[in-house]
Amino acid sequence: MLARLSLALLLLVTLPAQAAALMGFKDSAMLMSEFSTDKKELMLNYSPALGHAIGVETMWMRGEKQTNLITNVNYTGLIKRWNMPSGQANLWFMTGIGEASGDSSGFSYSPSVQFDYETTRLYFLAKARMVRAPHIQYDTYSLQGGFSFYEASFEETQPWFVVEARTTENMATRNEITPALRLINQNYFLEFGITNPWDSESRTPRVNLMLTF
Amino acid sequence: MKKLFVIALLAIFTNTAFAATSIHAEVKGMVCAFCAKGINKKLRELDSTQDVWVDLKSRIVVVELKDQKTMSLEAFTKLIKDAGYDVANVEYINKTLLEIKADHTHISNEVKK
Repeated sequence: MLARLSLALLLLVTLPAQAAALMGFKDSAMLMSEFSTDKKELMLNYSPALGHAIGVETMWMRGEKQTNLITNVNYTGLIKRWNMPSGQANLWFMTGIGEASGDSSGFSYSPSVQFDYETTRLYFLAKARMVRAPHIQYDTYSLQGGFSFYEASFEETQPWFVVEARTTENMATRNEITPALRLINQNYFLEFGITNPWDSESRTPRVNLMLTF
Repeated sequence: MKKLFVIALLAIFTNTAFAATSIHAEVKGMVCAFCAKGINKKLRELDSTQDVWVDLKSRIVVVELKDQKTMSLEAFTKLIKDAGYDVANVEYINKTLLEIKADHTHISNEVKK
C-alpha cells in the first residue's frame, strides 16, 4: 500500500515530457512524466554538466493494434542555447536505447529533437520524436504555445495558459489538443489540462508537476 | 592621540563601506523562476554570500557579500555561465541588497508614472 502510494505520488510530482527545460542545473536531478489514457511515461535524469543529462525512462503505450512497454536508458544534450536580453531559446537532442515488450518486443530506440523559445510572457515549443522497435512505431510530432497572464517576480507563482497540439502515429488516440493552465514557481512546475475537451471518447484530464532536486 | 583617533574613525567608516559590497549583474536569458533556481541555489551555497536577489522582471542578480569576504567578478560570471546564462554587465556596488532593491523599486515606480 505504501509502495503504491509512493509510486502514485512520484508519478504526480513530475512534468510533461515536452516541458521547455529538459534538465536541471549542474549536479541536479529531474523527474518527468506524462499520463493519459493511452500513454504513461516516466523519466528521471541527472545532469553532471551544463547541457548534458543521462537517465532512464519507461513508456507504456496503447496503440491501435497493440500495447507495449518500452524501457530505455537515455541521453539529453543541449545543442545550442540563445540567451537574449528578454528571452531564451534552446535546441535539444535526446536519444534513448533499450527494450520493448508487450505485443511486440525487441531492441528499441527513440531519438528526438526539440526547439523552444520563452520570454517572461510568451512560450513556444516544437518537438519531433521517433519511438521505434520491431513492429512498433509511435513517432510523435508536437507544438505548444502559450502566454503568461502577467510578469512575476522570482518569489511569486506565475500562471500561464498553454495549448499543445500533438499527433502520434499508430496510437489509439492519434491527434490530441490539450489546453492547460500552467503554474511556474521557483520550486515547482504544475500543470492542469484537458486533452480533446470537446470529444467525449478521448477527453482526458492531465495533471503534471515538475521538481528538480 | 588625535592621529590615532582619526585613523580609528577612518577604519570604522572604511570597514562599513566595504562590508556593504554587493555584486550587481544583468543576466541574459533569465526568464523563468523555475529555470533560474540553479543561480539562486549555487550562489547561496558559497561561503562569501550573505544574501541573493534574483529579479526576473529586470533580469538582475544581486549578491550581498558577507563582512570580510570577497568574490571575484570572474568567479561570479563563471557561476552564472555554468548555470546556463550569459552576463551582460557586472559590477561591485557599495550598497546592501536592501538598498539596491529599494533603488530598483524607486526606478520602477518612476517608470510607471
